[in-house]
Amino acid sequence: MILAVLFANSEGNILVERFNGVPAEERLHWRSFLVKLGAENLRGAKNEELLVACHKSVYIVYTVLGDVSIYVVGKDEYDELALSEVIFVITSAVKDACGKPPTERLFLDKYGKICLCLDEIVWKGCLENTDKERIKRLIRLKPPVDF
Amino acid sequence: MAQPFVKKDDDRDEEAEYSPFFGIEKGAVLQEARVFHDPQLDPRRCSQVITKLLYLLNQGETFTKVEATEVFFAVTKLFQSRDIGLRRMVYLMIKEISPSSDEVIMVTSSLMKDMTSRTDVYRANAIRVLCQITDGTLLAQIERYLKQAIVDKNPVVASAALVSGIHILQTNPEIVKRWSNEVQEAVQSRAALVQFHALALLHQIRQNDRLAVSKLVTSLTRGTVRSPLAQCLLVRYASQVIRESANNFQTGERPFYDYLESCLRHKAEMVILEAARAITELSGVTNRELTPAITVLQLFLSSSKPVLRFAAVRTLNKVAMTHPMAVTNCNIDMESLISDQNRSIATLAITTLLKTGNESSVDRLMKQITNFMSDIADEFKIVVVEAIRSLCMKFPLKYRSLMNFLSNILREEGGFEYKKAIVDSIVILIRDIQEAKEIGLLHLCEFIEDCEFTYLSTQILHFLGIEGPKTSDPSKFIRYIYNRVHLENATVRACAVSTLAKFGAMVDSLKPRVLVLLRRCLFDSDDEVRDRATLYLNTLGGDGPVVETDNDVKGFLFGSLDVPLVNLETSLRNYEPSDQPFDIDSVPKEIKAQPLAEKKAPGKKPIGLGAPPTAPSAAVDPYDRLLSSIPEFASYGELFKSSAPVELTEAETEYAVNVVKHIFDHYVVFQYNCTNTIPEQLLENVTVVVDASEAEEFSEVASKPLKSLPYDSPGQTFVAFEKPDGVPAVGKFSNVLKFIVKEVDPASGEAEEDGVEDEYQLEDLEVVAADYMQKVGVSNFRNAWEGMDPECEQVDEYGLGPRESLAEAVNAVIGLLGMQPCEGTEAVPSNSRSHTCLLSGVFIGNVKVLVRLSFGISGHNEVAMKLAVRSEDENVSKTIHEIVASG
Repeated sequence: MILAVLFANSEGNILVERFNGVPAEERLHWRSFLVKLGAENLRGAKNEELLVACHKSVYIVYTVLGDVSIYVVGKDEYDELALSEVIFVITSAVKDACGKPPTERLFLDKYGKICLCLDEIVWKGCLENTDKERIKRLIRLKPPVDF
Repeated sequence: MAQPFVKKDDDRDEEAEYSPFFGIEKGAVLQEARVFHDPQLDPRRCSQVITKLLYLLNQGETFTKVEATEVFFAVTKLFQSRDIGLRRMVYLMIKEISPSSDEVIMVTSSLMKDMTSRTDVYRANAIRVLCQITDGTLLAQIERYLKQAIVDKNPVVASAALVSGIHILQTNPEIVKRWSNEVQEAVQSRAALVQFHALALLHQIRQNDRLAVSKLVTSLTRGTVRSPLAQCLLVRYASQVIRESANNFQTGERPFYDYLESCLRHKAEMVILEAARAITELSGVTNRELTPAITVLQLFLSSSKPVLRFAAVRTLNKVAMTHPMAVTNCNIDMESLISDQNRSIATLAITTLLKTGNESSVDRLMKQITNFMSDIADEFKIVVVEAIRSLCMKFPLKYRSLMNFLSNILREEGGFEYKKAIVDSIVILIRDIQEAKEIGLLHLCEFIEDCEFTYLSTQILHFLGIEGPKTSDPSKFIRYIYNRVHLENATVRACAVSTLAKFGAMVDSLKPRVLVLLRRCLFDSDDEVRDRATLYLNTLGGDGPVVETDNDVKGFLFGSLDVPLVNLETSLRNYEPSDQPFDIDSVPKEIKAQPLAEKKAPGKKPIGLGAPPTAPSAAVDPYDRLLSSIPEFASYGELFKSSAPVELTEAETEYAVNVVKHIFDHYVVFQYNCTNTIPEQLLENVTVVVDASEAEEFSEVASKPLKSLPYDSPGQTFVAFEKPDGVPAVGKFSNVLKFIVKEVDPASGEAEEDGVEDEYQLEDLEVVAADYMQKVGVSNFRNAWEGMDPECEQVDEYGLGPRESLAEAVNAVIGLLGMQPCEGTEAVPSNSRSHTCLLSGVFIGNVKVLVRLSFGISGHNEVAMKLAVRSEDENVSKTIHEIVASG
């Protein structure tokens, strides 16, 4: 299960947070934990350089893309390896939607598009689509070309 | 598409000036959502409003029931628009709002229409939305379409249906289970992701059918699996099959090992790591099986991708717990990871090295870690501190350098949890390694000189009060303690006063000087500090009239209250200030049953300051007080041992009963802890009728019934037996709970006058040889062994017959004797053919016993054992042999 996908700006303010199977009362805790993790480790990190952590049986893979830091949290079959796939798809889709590693403003400008991409990539805690070209078509309700 | 406020220029400064969502407010956006009702829909404007709603939801904002309903109804209007961009947004929005079941009806017809649409992507989206918002009844109606969708030639549709299936399986498993054939077909799909989703769903459908899972794995390992993600799932399922069939193969090849081994050469790194991990986790894995996996993991340690380095070092860290020798080849690569930028990787590398290192490498390792500690976060530091603690227990002779390391990091900056972990570690080392006591206490004293955490200061002062007076020169601690009285807040000052008093009571030579210091505390600005000083001065015989005997003083200062603290707290809360002083005798002494979670972890070692200083005596203490307060048992003498509670009922039955066996020299008392879990009943005159016909050496001498057992308020009833003096008599007892049951009116809580007699069968209970043995460890087994007279040694050899494994045989003998394993010798390396286990304990009659067990296992799993016993009494040594011979 992919427990959370979270986007934050460089100050640690949340841009997108999507939780799956995490009780409402634990979400705040996760949010601050992830933002703190990023603040401590992402400074000076290169675009799309992956960082990894585990907390009990939960894995966290996170990275920075332009002004935005991206966190993916998973457990069970979504361990650090599967999550690195997930975050790779997410970063490619975001880059694609924004045309480059986004500034915060650009990210917000493309907010609707990014939400649709996320909806195609992760649905209720499962990885659904991994190909950015296909995702690009699906969010415009165009059929995939490769079948 | 949603691009609300597009700016054409690319100037960064201007871009950052304002956010498109600046000043966004829920109420205003809800107002804006009224555009959804416009007869002439503006798709662009509607998309913008949906984006704003999504932004609010993604920030953790919630809508009230009324708001959500309003938005949902408005959004359904948008189905009228033919704009495909807007339609995609509508699908997402409906999923985000999750309408309630009575509202869903509004969109089902539109969605059903989309689900049968000729446009594939409409179908895929409609399936996902419908599956998210529908319940079982509607699902049955659309099941036909879903089954078709699973085998749809468009992979997007098939994946949508399969992933929906994974979710629906949680709520409506019976429906999804009917799709087996279609899912089976989808597993063979040429689309990589469809295969991945189908495999995950098929496995979930069949997870309780071992044979089916095994067949699935067999067929797929021979066929083609297209996506690395699906291959990883298959590796997991294969190792599950291996685990479950572990008992069916004794010799020969392990099923699917060749498959796992072939995955080590897969082109996807993800699959290689998954296979390596699966191999390292095989139960009873041999070195030959392990080697190729360790080799690939070692290669990944120097990968340029951090995720691969992390996955490799995390796996090796686990292997190091069971096969430390297998990992030593990777030590050089791991040492270079200590400087890895990703601190999680560095921490895992360090803790692995701490597990695999030998005694000679400790000093070098500590040097490397010292540099590393300064730039990692507290939570990583805690992991390292815990690893160092276990290293010190493994190599007690190295305590000096490890203790120095701990004291150095204690002086550096750090948060509460980190400091607490260090202090806990030092406390454990002080307790378990005799030689480390003085130096450890001095480190703690240094720490409290500059400690910002009141909790830690008070805990250390308390600990110092217990351990300090027992050292060779207690006076050197006084300065540190008395400094607290000058420099700290009131809580710490009060605690320091108590600690000083303990030194005064325990060390005669210090008493006059402690009294002088206590007198100075009489002028403290805080009431509690002054009160304590006055109290201790009086009890220690300083001034004032109340001078008691020495024993009373020690009992008062060191003994705990003879009532459970929880009960005392409740009574104090209920006490209303009046002329009547609070009477401590009014506090109930009965111990409330432990919560189930605590009972389930009996083997957990007490850690840190909160734990009792010497486990056996402290664990018995509350029972001892309880029993001696009951007149029937007061004359039974000293309580030798109390067992852990043994459950006599299943979980969640009407009455929950467990029993604690209290062993005296001449008696055994069974304490039945009973809980009534039925609110409508009151039980009275509760007894346990014990049939001891299978315990010939025991005869019942007393029984203490429980007068009343109301709902959820645990109580105890006791039965006592006489047995031959000092003899470890064994036997089996059957138990029946007898009581009078009265109905309780739930409204008033009043019980009816009349009750009826009833009884309730409990499980049988056994008194075994291990009940007569206290688990008492020794810090240095060899010294203790050589310190005992070799003349008392009794040696014999035993055949234990065919056993599952060497570890199982070792655990069985430890369990039979009930002794404390020393120096970690209870852990048997999984491939070893022989093993030596060291045990120590105190046998009834307070006789120290040491045991050396040497095991060997043959090719047919026949286990032979040599048992050498040394004790202070030759007869006890013989008894130990008798126990083993009859066990």
